[in-house]
Amino acid sequence: MNPMNIKKMDELTRGVLVFLGLAVLTALEYFLAVSEFPAILLWIIALLKAGLVLWFFMHIFRLSGSEGGH
Amino acid sequence: MSGHERSAVLDPRAEPGYKLKTNRLGLWLFFISDGFVFGGLLVMRFYLMGGQRPHLEQFLGLIVTAVLLVSSFFMNRAEVSIAQGNRKGFITSTLITIVLGVGFLVGVVGFEWRNAPFGPGDGVQGAVFYMMTGMHAFHVLTGVIFLVIVLRNGMRGLYTAEKHWAVEAAANYWHFVDLVWIFFYPALYLIGTAVK
Repeated sequence: MNPMNIKKMDELTRGVLVFLGLAVLTALEYFLAVSEFPAILLWIIALLKAGLVLWFFMHIFRLSGSEGGH
Repeated sequence: MSGHERSAVLDPRAEPGYKLKTNRLGLWLFFISDGFVFGGLLVMRFYLMGGQRPHLEQFLGLIVTAVLLVSSFFMNRAEVSIAQGNRKGFITSTLITIVLGVGFLVGVVGFEWRNAPFGPGDGVQGAVFYMMTGMHAFHVLTGVIFLVIVLRNGMRGLYTAEKHWAVEAAANYWHFVDLVWIFFYPALYLIGTAVK
């Protein structure tokens, strides 16, 4: 397998893993809310989800360089 | 070294990737400024309603949240695909993202707004709910329009693995809309006790 295909697979796999993480956190958030857990837990989960989206989907780290340049 | 060559070396605009860097910076400055709008709405919700929340259909809220989450996954897939030169994958994933975006709008505006037991003029919960979901839905709508333009250009073959800034910008905008909903969803549906 050439390096291009490996990179492609890695990025697609990472997308799937991040999506699964977000889905699990959303389900957990819903469960905690209906079980009347403290709201602070929901905010913590929301911040975790936001962090995942900012880092892996929005690639905020690219701001400091021209990574992924095109 | 001639004067022209020296000025090209000293000019930061001559650096490779300069335009991409400034494009990204501009986009993120827009996100920050737009983030203040949504942040203000979030503060408004807690200032006006405190420990109460609008009386809403919980299951529908979970469904539209899931739809937006899945759309973000396909948007990421579309961006990765075009970055790898997979034009077919890019078109398919963008198309799915658009359909899910429209699905989200139908869920919120078509069902949630219609099913809500209060109108925009019915007190604080009406003002908070319709303002927050309306502003967010407007951003989803503009995101869908952005994606339709990007899809059309992609089908014309205007993007390559080396040159696809518009796709990156559209993807980031879409993820930003998802990011806002990550905070709006618990604020509107989960935190506090429902108004009777």
